[in-house]
Amino acid sequence: MAASSNEIQQKIRELIYNTCIHLDDYQWEEWHDNCSENFNYAIKAYSPEVQADIKYHGGDKEYMESITKLLNKHNSDQSPLRRHCTVYRVDVAEDGKSATAISSLVVHQTQLDGVNSHVDAGTTSVFLVGRYNDKFVIDGDSIKFEDREVRLDTRRLDKGTHWPI
Amino acid sequence: MSSRNHAQWNATPDLQRGEWVDSRIYSDEQIFEDELNKIWKKTWIPVCHESELKEAYSFRTMTIAREPVIVVRGKDMVVRAFLNVCPHRGNMIERRPSGNYKKGTPSGTPKTMTCMFHAWSFDMKGKCVNISRKEAGYQDRLNENQVGLRELKCEVYFGGFVWVSLNDDIGVSVAEFAKGSLDVLLPSLSEEPLEVFHYHKAIIPCNYKLWHDTNCEFYHDYLHYHNRITGFNDAYFARKNNGFDGGHINVGSFEVQYENYEGSHGREELSFPHLPPNHWYMIDMFPGVNFNLRGSALRCDLMTPLGPNSVMIEFRGLGLASDSKKDRQTRIDHHNSIWGPFGRNLHEDLLAVTGQGASMHPLAESRKILHGRHENETIHDENGMRHYYEEWGKLLDRNPSDPMQKFKPYPEFKEQVAQREAAAAVE
Ligand code: FES
Ligand SMILES: [Fe+2]
Repeated sequence: MAASSNEIQQKIRELIYNTCIHLDDYQWEEWHDNCSENFNYAIKAYSPEVQADIKYHGGDKEYMESITKLLNKHNSDQSPLRRHCTVYRVDVAEDGKSATAISSLVVHQTQLDGVNSHVDAGTTSVFLVGRYNDKFVIDGDSIKFEDREVRLDTRRLDKGTHWPI
Repeated sequence: MSSRNHAQWNATPDLQRGEWVDSRIYSDEQIFEDELNKIWKKTWIPVCHESELKEAYSFRTMTIAREPVIVVRGKDMVVRAFLNVCPHRGNMIERRPSGNYKKGTPSGTPKTMTCMFHAWSFDMKGKCVNISRKEAGYQDRLNENQVGLRELKCEVYFGGFVWVSLNDDIGVSVAEFAKGSLDVLLPSLSEEPLEVFHYHKAIIPCNYKLWHDTNCEFYHDYLHYHNRITGFNDAYFARKNNGFDGGHINVGSFEVQYENYEGSHGREELSFPHLPPNHWYMIDMFPGVNFNLRGSALRCDLMTPLGPNSVMIEFRGLGLASDSKKDRQTRIDHHNSIWGPFGRNLHEDLLAVTGQGASMHPLAESRKILHGRHENETIHDENGMRHYYEEWGKLLDRNPSDPMQKFKPYPEFKEQVAQREAAAAVE
């Protein structure tokens, strides 16, 4: 028997929250496993300066896999990022084969080595504010991310980061 | 000698003048004020790109040396720049980053820049067109002709960048100011109109010159896994670092091996006009502007110094205005993969200068910062920074190696080698 729309909604909420844990804890492979082969990821923000939608980062599944795989080759700010996310809304398509979700997102950064660690390490600040706009593909019991747009309100990211949000 | 004690650490390096600078140039309050007055208020700055002002009556706001500036496109499509300051009681006239005056504002009629405070308004040429209740308050003592906006020098040049100067007496065009440093990219940027597709900004706790230095030296490619793996071959090490008058430099090109970075692809199909496939040119203009063309995407960094230990950097990415949607997307992905706020290289560069800022904050002990590599003016030579600081020293009349002393011209490198050899021969 096919899952009810309510059950799917509940599973999608769990998937979004579990993904936050995967991303917080650098479990990149677990994250990739929950994305479909056609997955596409983008971080975007509207710039009122140049009056255009700006894509800051992103790519297909292969690209996201390769950049997470190469992270240890790069010099990165290792200050942990913690995602605080609330799923506002999940809409399941009538045929039960796809769904969309909107979640509110705040990411905090706790300084480790970003500036002068003796002074700054342990300081927490808001790194960014935005939303997850997600699309899912549903096939029986399997629910996978088909698309994730991280829509940022924050446009001053200063040093930035190498990690996906 | 291995490690050094305090006196040894502070001793004058066994290098020629110009081959090191004193870290106070990156942290001293008075030097910073001198720089704003003697450099930043005197020079040309590419404050934005014309594609940010597509229509008549559109505007952009910005800041040069703490002065609020507005750039507007007139009915005649000419781009003009003004101080964004109301001549009445000094309010900043426009608060938004961008917009269009075709529509009125709460205090003002359409097609005027209106100060919301007491509704004085100005046309796109900076002429005052309304003083509210003028006769009642000023009788015949003051009229619109006496209270126009302060117009600033403004020129659109080099692929459509909008250059502004606070200096009425600058006396040179942008092309003359560039002293030939822009010529290498002029054909690529002038063939057809460009368009901004990327904008973001960062405020970093370091002196603006540390960012400029990093843009001027490629020795730091050790910082970037991406650049090591896609560069570091004979052609890379042969790239020339060329100095031009005025403290500008540019760096010659080579063919980048993008495929060597897993997940990365060549950029040959979308090369800018007249640019050989996968080539990469870089121009660093005095005092804080960088143009960086990597095959398919042009990057421009503009620095706005905020304090001795604080700089705002605006990062723009540009493609061709004629791009198809698909091509534009590819350019954006090329640009972001290394240069976006989540890109592989930009984050590393910003981390490194933040680390410099953390050790060279105001009132930190002065240190010697070495700019002494000589490699026949190729890519890992540090002649770019030496060239910059020679101009800097001249303009401020300060010696970069001892900034509380007056400037003395740097000996030429060849002369320096001769001096060193002569000294060695005597010993
Ligand atoms: S301050 Fe602008 S109108 Fe008074
Ligand atoms: Fe770099």
